[in-house]
Amino acid sequence: MKKYEVMAILANDLNEADAAAQAKKSILDRVTELDGKITFEDFWGAKGFAYKIHGEKWGYYFVTQFEIDPNKITELEREWNIDKKLVRFLLTTVTGKLENPVKYSELLENQAASKKEAEIAAVEAKATLTAKRAAVKKETAAPAKTEKTEEKKDSVDRKFDAILDDASLDL
Amino acid sequence: MPPRPKKFICTFCRNDVKEIDYKNAAVLAQYITYYRSIQSRFHTGVCLKHQRQLSTAVKRARFMGLLPFVRYEK
Repeated sequence: MKKYEVMAILANDLNEADAAAQAKKSILDRVTELDGKITFEDFWGAKGFAYKIHGEKWGYYFVTQFEIDPNKITELEREWNIDKKLVRFLLTTVTGKLENPVKYSELLENQAASKKEAEIAAVEAKATLTAKRAAVKKETAAPAKTEKTEEKKDSVDRKFDAILDDASLDL
Repeated sequence: MPPRPKKFICTFCRNDVKEIDYKNAAVLAQYITYYRSIQSRFHTGVCLKHQRQLSTAVKRARFMGLLPFVRYEK
């Protein structure tokens, strides 16, 4: 018995529940039928590819670990290569160092949730900032202008008065 | 600038990583260049043991569509 890990991409013409059922049917059930023992399974759900695979942009990711007799692996690989619902799969041996596999589906969910929260917070912060700026502008800019113009008017009036009051001028 | 430590220790060694996982694309993405090729050990400062694991992990992640092969796709 040897420990293996399989990561598979399922076709995106299925819906999420069907994809999980398909993964169980074509991977987990086949392993158990060939006297294998499943130790870990993790369904990531829909995820976008970094590049197009067979013209598609996204698929369902599924990860599992199991123990099986190494002679039966070739049979499994042959079947998975034929399966049309499996877009791609990666079979690797598990060394003793990776004993506690991480559930990346949970990690990805947490990341997505935190990203959404951050986006909402950023939008709120922007709204408050713009509101604050508008308030500050109203407070400062509007009265300053009127004062200046009034001062100008006053000074001009005073000058005229001074000229009119001047006794030496003969108008 | 703070003074640089005398000997730079590999980040994976410092965090006691026993084996680099190909599924953790967020970590692997830090070790690829602008044009999405694997960065050399000279630039990453990773020890030889972890650099070997890193390169296989990046190649596996690329095959499964977690990381891109190239920056500009046709």
